[in-house]
Parts: sequence; structure tokens; C-alpha cells
Amino acid sequence: MEAVTRHRITEVESKKDAGWKIIILLITLILIFILSFALGRYPVPPGQLLEVLAARVLPLEPTWNATVETVIFQVRLPRILAAILVGAALSTAGAAYQGMFKNPLVSPDILGASAGAGFGAALGIYFSFSMLGIQLMAFVGGLLAVSLTYGISIRIRHDPMLALVLSGIMIGSLFTAAISCIKYIADPYDKLPAITFWLMGSLASITPRDVYMVLIPILLGGILLYLLRWRLNVLAMGEEEARVLGINTTLMKTIVIVCCTLMTAASVSISGLIGWVGLVIPHLARMIVGPNYRVLLPASILLGGAYLLLVDDLARLLASMEIPLGILTALIGVPFFLYLLLNSKWGWK
Amino acid sequence: MELELRNLSCGYGQRTVIKSISLSINVGEVIGLLGANGCGKTTLIKTILGLLPIQGGEVLLDGKNIKNWSSAQIARVVGYIPQMHTPPFPFQVLDVVLMGRTAHIKPFASPAKKDVKIAEQALEMLNISYLQDRIYTEISGGERQLVLIARALAQEPKILVMDEPTASLDFGNQIKVLSHVKKLAGLNIAVLMSCHFPEHAFIYSNRAVLLNNGTILHNGTPDEAITSERLRTLYGVEVDIVTVKNRMNQELQVCIPSRSLAEQDKSLQLIERRKEYALA
Repeated sequence: MEAVTRHRITEVESKKDAGWKIIILLITLILIFILSFALGRYPVPPGQLLEVLAARVLPLEPTWNATVETVIFQVRLPRILAAILVGAALSTAGAAYQGMFKNPLVSPDILGASAGAGFGAALGIYFSFSMLGIQLMAFVGGLLAVSLTYGISIRIRHDPMLALVLSGIMIGSLFTAAISCIKYIADPYDKLPAITFWLMGSLASITPRDVYMVLIPILLGGILLYLLRWRLNVLAMGEEEARVLGINTTLMKTIVIVCCTLMTAASVSISGLIGWVGLVIPHLARMIVGPNYRVLLPASILLGGAYLLLVDDLARLLASMEIPLGILTALIGVPFFLYLLLNSKWGWK
Repeated sequence: MELELRNLSCGYGQRTVIKSISLSINVGEVIGLLGANGCGKTTLIKTILGLLPIQGGEVLLDGKNIKNWSSAQIARVVGYIPQMHTPPFPFQVLDVVLMGRTAHIKPFASPAKKDVKIAEQALEMLNISYLQDRIYTEISGGERQLVLIARALAQEPKILVMDEPTASLDFGNQIKVLSHVKKLAGLNIAVLMSCHFPEHAFIYSNRAVLLNNGTILHNGTPDEAITSERLRTLYGVEVDIVTVKNRMNQELQVCIPSRSLAEQDKSLQLIERRKEYALA
């Protein structure tokens, strides 16, 4: 009896624990958010930042010059928001893909979604499409790539986990080659540099308009996945079991693939190929709050946003010239993932 | 609640595995489904669960055809206990049991306090409340199987279907899991369980259904249905069924191989003879 009561208490505590962890992650994100204004070529100290932000709603007498306002609203805020959005989107997509495919080794990049979206976007840039056109192309490319990957993997009669990763790598390479093709035929003075720099992954030239454009698809996909987060748990037990537990798996899988790909494509269309975030962050979040999607999904959103924002700050600060974001996320992500693989108790075992 | 199969045919794609069988199962019954590998036990179970399409005939739950039921509708009535497996993510035991509530909660909702209570009761019923906060992937195979039974109970089903629930469990865990299965019948649940061993049907079921090449060879009480002739038809081996008494003075039936042992003797003799040749 005593043992039972004690277990009740730990149960309540573990629920509370998860809540606290989410709050700490949220505070971390807010702190990095404020810090990010103070970093860079034109630093905005937190006090001034609060004043300027408050002036938007309160009738305050401006004690700062107009440049500060321009820096905050036209340069830094869009970039900071874009970093948080892209980081959160890639991490959420990665976490949801992993549950849906019952496979902890997948992410938007490994499934080929990023490469497919990259191909679509590159094609959009090549044909000088509008921002909306580029996003649509990225979405179609990403959806095509994931569908191909999934379609091939279920036809491979082998270890399904391995089959999915391998077919993802193959489809990813195929679309990367297709991107190279576009680069090869692109105008070397105009289109080629645009595609190349965009592909390396950078948030340097973000405009407020870009942020608005990706906000809608990312929120749409994110909110739907967030609402379905309990069902992601059940899906992670395998397709057959999920159906027997009462889930329409065909519908659910379609929704998850569309949402994840929508979020990935939106991210890729403004920031290029930023790898490893969607693989590493869900694992890190799982280490912190456990595998239950009820807390794993919010944790991935907050952690992903904070992580990419921090990495983007580093990209701005580390060298006199900006380092492409995709290079940094790989430099940080690969050693971290190796650490996870070698200490598998943290990963998924 | 009653599960009725009427001239049911089913299988994979164009291939028909189960050929027009009829069977009805009532609340309070534990049915042991016996048959060789590939005779259609799993196919039948998957069809009842709605995982495979019905090729002919019908599956009726309380007289209602389930053909067009959604997975949630079926899940509210039929619970399933799969063979032991390990998911890739280290879920907490309570969360695994809570997954059984999925069919009862709205698509965008998560389990509420009421669902947690039902899940805890299910764990209590199987005397495994102490596992509640443990990690599902870290507990033993027998414990995991009990957790899956608790999950199925949290589903509040009228019919429980088990596909060789003791496959890949050790001897002790087989007995532990199966003795719980027998208790489930007292909860106003009908249990359909496929078994590997005729003994399991003798001890833990009150009706045995013998499945041979996709048709029902016989259907009756275990003592009457399971005979050495029928086991020969089913498995192609000679078996003697012997009645023994355990230390509680209860009579039990056990199956022991007869001819296959003699054949083993023969092959042993052959080996001996070869050794002799080698020595000579």
C-alpha cells in the first residue's frame, strides 16, 4: 500500500516536472530572444529594446534616434523571428516524422523532404517566381520526395527502419543532383549566386515580408500537429497497433506528412538547407522531457527555436563575415548526434 | 455482447486463407484457437480486428455487421493484445496503458483525469500498479505483456483478441500471463486467444477451436475437442494425451509426443552406429 502511495506521488511529481521543464525552456528562449538584440554590429541593449517595444503600445516620448527603431523592426526582429520559426518548424517536423514512421533515425533532411523542397525552391528561383510561388514549389517538391521515400521503403523487404533511412538517402541524393542541374544551367551572374547562397542556409537577407509569408504555413502545420500530439504517441507504437487502438492511420499519416512537409518547405524556402536541426533537437528534447508527445512536441518547438536562434547569433558574430547557418548546424549537429549514437541510452533504447 | 462469424472468408489480396467459417463467441468464454503455423489463425484475428478486408461472409458484433465500421468504432468493442514487441521509444508504462483510451477520446484531445483513473484501475486489476512509472522498454517481457493486457482492458472492450500472447515468453511468464487471461472472462469479456500449445487450451480456455487449412476441424470443450487423432491432423505428429494430477489434486491433460520420440531413438541409434564404425 505504501509503495502504491509513493508511486502516486512520483507520478504527480513527474507531471509537474515536465511542466517546469517546459517553463524553463520557454524562459531560455525569451532570454536568448532579448540577448539576440544586444548582439551584432548595432547592439540594442535590453533596456532600450523594452522602451522601443513599449512605445508601440504606450504613448512614450522617444529618447532614441530613428536608426534604433529601423534596426529593431526592419533588421533584427525579422531575422530573430525567422530563426525561431525555422528552428521550431524543423524540430517539430522531425519529432512528428520520427513518431509517425516509428523510426528515431529520420528527420526532414534524412527523408529527403529538405532536398525535395530545396529542388522545388531552386526551380522557383530559376524561373523568377514570386515568394509565394517559390514556397508552393518547395511544398510540392518536398511532398514528392517524402512520398517517394515512403513508397520505396515499404516495398523493400528488409529491416523497415533501415529501409526508410536508405531510401530517404537515395531520394535525397537524387534531388540534390537535380538541384546541381539547375545550378549548372542557371545564369552564372545572377541566378547561380542567388541559388548557391540560399542553399547554404542563411537568414541574412530576411525581410519582414518573408516572415509573414512563412508564418501562415508554419503555424498551420504546427497547430494541427500540436492538436494531434496524443495520437502521435499511439502512431509511434506501429501502424497495426495504432489502427487496433482506434486510429484511422491512413488519414492520420497523410495529415502528419502534409503538415511536416509544409513546415519543412516553408523553412527551406526562406532559409535554404539547414540540416541536422530536425534530427538532433527531437532527441535532445526526448532526453529532457521523455518520449510522450504531449510534452515532447512543445519541448521540441521551444528548444528548436532557441537552438537555431543561438546558432544564428553565432553565425553573425563568430567571424567578420557571416558564416552560412547550414555549415554551423552541421558542425554542431554531427558530433552531437555521434555522441547520442555512442551513448544509446540517451537516444531511443 | 456476442461475436459471430458467418461464412467468413478472408486472406491477403487475391489469396483466400480462411474459407467460409462460422463461429460465435459469447461473453464469459475463453476460446483457444489451435492450429499449425500458416493455418490462418493470425489471418482470422486480423480480419476480426478490421486490419484485413473481408472477402466473403460477415463479422457481426451483437448482430451488427462491422463491415463499414471505423477503426475507432471497432476499438471501442474489440481489444487486441499483440505478441511481445519493443517500441523504439521509451514510453512510461502508464502512458502505454493510456493509449488504450484513444478510441474513447476526441481526435484533438489528450487523455483526461478520468482516463488516467481507468488506466490505473486496469493496472491494479493485473496487480502491476508498481510498474506504473517504469519505462516500458526496460521492464521484462512478461511484465510488458501484462501491460499490454492492461492497455486492452483500459479500452473497455467486450471482446479481447490475443495472437499467441505468450510467444517468446519464458516458461514462468507464460503461466503468469495466461492465469490472468482466465480471470478476464469473469469481467464479462469474451476472449479469443490463439495458442501454440494444446496444453494452454486445456488449462486456460473453456472452448477449443481447431483450425486446419483455413477451415474449422472441430469446435467444442477442450477435453472433448482435443484428441490425439485431431492433433495428428492438425500438426502431423503422433501425440498421446495423458491425464495427470497436480499437487492440488486437480486433473490436467498434457500432450506428450509418442512416435516422434521413437523416431528420435532411431536417429540416436544411427549416430551410435556411426560412432562404432568410426572407432572400428
